[in-house]
Amino acid sequence: MDYDPMAMDEIESKGPVIKISQADTVRVKFELSNADISFANSLRRVMLAEIPTIAIDLVEIEDNSSVLADEFIAHRLGLIPLNAEGIDELQYSRDCDCEEYCDHCSVKLTLHARCTGDENMQVVARDLVPSGDRINRVLGTPIINESSDGLGPLIMKLRPGQEIKLSCIAKKGIAKEHAKWAAPSAIGFEYDPHNKLHHLDMWYETDAKLEWPPSEYADWEEPPQEGEKFDFNAVPDRFYFNVETAGNIPPDAIVTQGIKVIQEKLASMIKDLGETEGGENGDYNGPRSPEYNGGGGDGWQDQGFTTPYGNGGNQSSWGGGAGGTTPYGTTPYGGAGQDNGGW
Amino acid sequence: MAKSKSRTKAPQNADEDDVVMQELPTSHQPDVQDDASMAEANGEDDADIEDEEEVEDDTQRVRLLPGSTPTAASFEFLDEGHTLGNALRYIIMKNPDVEFCAYAIPHPSEPKMNVRIQTYEGTTAIDALQKGLKDLQDVCDVVSDKFVAAQKGFKKKSIPP
Repeated sequence: MDYDPMAMDEIESKGPVIKISQADTVRVKFELSNADISFANSLRRVMLAEIPTIAIDLVEIEDNSSVLADEFIAHRLGLIPLNAEGIDELQYSRDCDCEEYCDHCSVKLTLHARCTGDENMQVVARDLVPSGDRINRVLGTPIINESSDGLGPLIMKLRPGQEIKLSCIAKKGIAKEHAKWAAPSAIGFEYDPHNKLHHLDMWYETDAKLEWPPSEYADWEEPPQEGEKFDFNAVPDRFYFNVETAGNIPPDAIVTQGIKVIQEKLASMIKDLGETEGGENGDYNGPRSPEYNGGGGDGWQDQGFTTPYGNGGNQSSWGGGAGGTTPYGTTPYGGAGQDNGGW
Repeated sequence: MAKSKSRTKAPQNADEDDVVMQELPTSHQPDVQDDASMAEANGEDDADIEDEEEVEDDTQRVRLLPGSTPTAASFEFLDEGHTLGNALRYIIMKNPDVEFCAYAIPHPSEPKMNVRIQTYEGTTAIDALQKGLKDLQDVCDVVSDKFVAAQKGFKKKSIPP
């Protein structure tokens, strides 16, 4: 099997290509080309839902004389982005040896604020103070953007005399479980800016061309020619990503982490398959050599190499020679068809 | 590698050899157990069964579905979805030894993903699946390397010398 799995389409066999068009602390925009849409979408999905981050998961409220209900505040706290640097060293609470949570699987944050002046007071994310032994100095610290004057997201407001006192446990998790663990704040994903593939059906009042603004990537690809026929063999092959972060993980790290998560998934599958394949035939828990004729002793292995196809002597009648070990060897599907790119 | 099916050797078994299509969807079929564990479950105390189940949820996330043959098999993946399914389907289908590959999520409220693989003679569905997983890993490696390279290139460009 010497086809090239990298060649995701017929153009060239040099594999996927990445071009970065913008990168700063908030977003990275890049183009993934020469790849299949299924892979591009896997990357998008995995970045969106399966990169581990840290978020407040348990809140113990000691004192709350504000106008907001306890559970309302707890929910807000969960949504505050926390720095996830060094998250790899933090354990999932469910995998940890401890009873409920500990320094190896959580970060504790406390909040205590009382309005002592005669003006209403703001309680902001900066007031959440991490405590305890942390894996590093930043893991679990609330993200404070420059735009908020060093205060961070507003949690609540207190009237004179009101007080809030609570402690939070931040845990590791993924966005599949709850969106508060999402690594990116948003991901832009688009392809085919001129809609040549007709994957979109644009709504319009009089003229779709005038009413829909062109994509920012419209200049990157050839616009359709006047009177161009629809190419029904065309498949999307350039994908434009815009990965935007709330600050918990740098945008470029989201991309690399995303690929890492896919690879971990695949590795665990390969391990799973390898572990059980060598096992006994009767083990129905996993992949194995199947007894598809209902057992009875004469399994398929016993009759193995005695069929007209399997024997070397029959190769000649099917063309034999290189790659011709199956009856299909000389069809467009077998060895002879390896480079025809039809797949 | 086994290159044959028993069908061709023993025509008298033809009926038995045919893949039995179970009428119920796999999710509604009772768990099939091999003879040994059946005996255990029937005759022995409950502790054994519990042990078995624990081991099961610990590791097994891929399983071969009943009715599979060497060259035509269905696999059930637990806790996987379109993220892996579609990319895997694509990369397995690129393998020229594979006749057919498709994936399905039988029911949206069950965390299961099924992959069907049918290969030509000369390879097995399990091998095709393993190759697919490895190929997809290679693709990830390349994309990861390319991204890091692009990142370095971008930084050089944006910081004028």
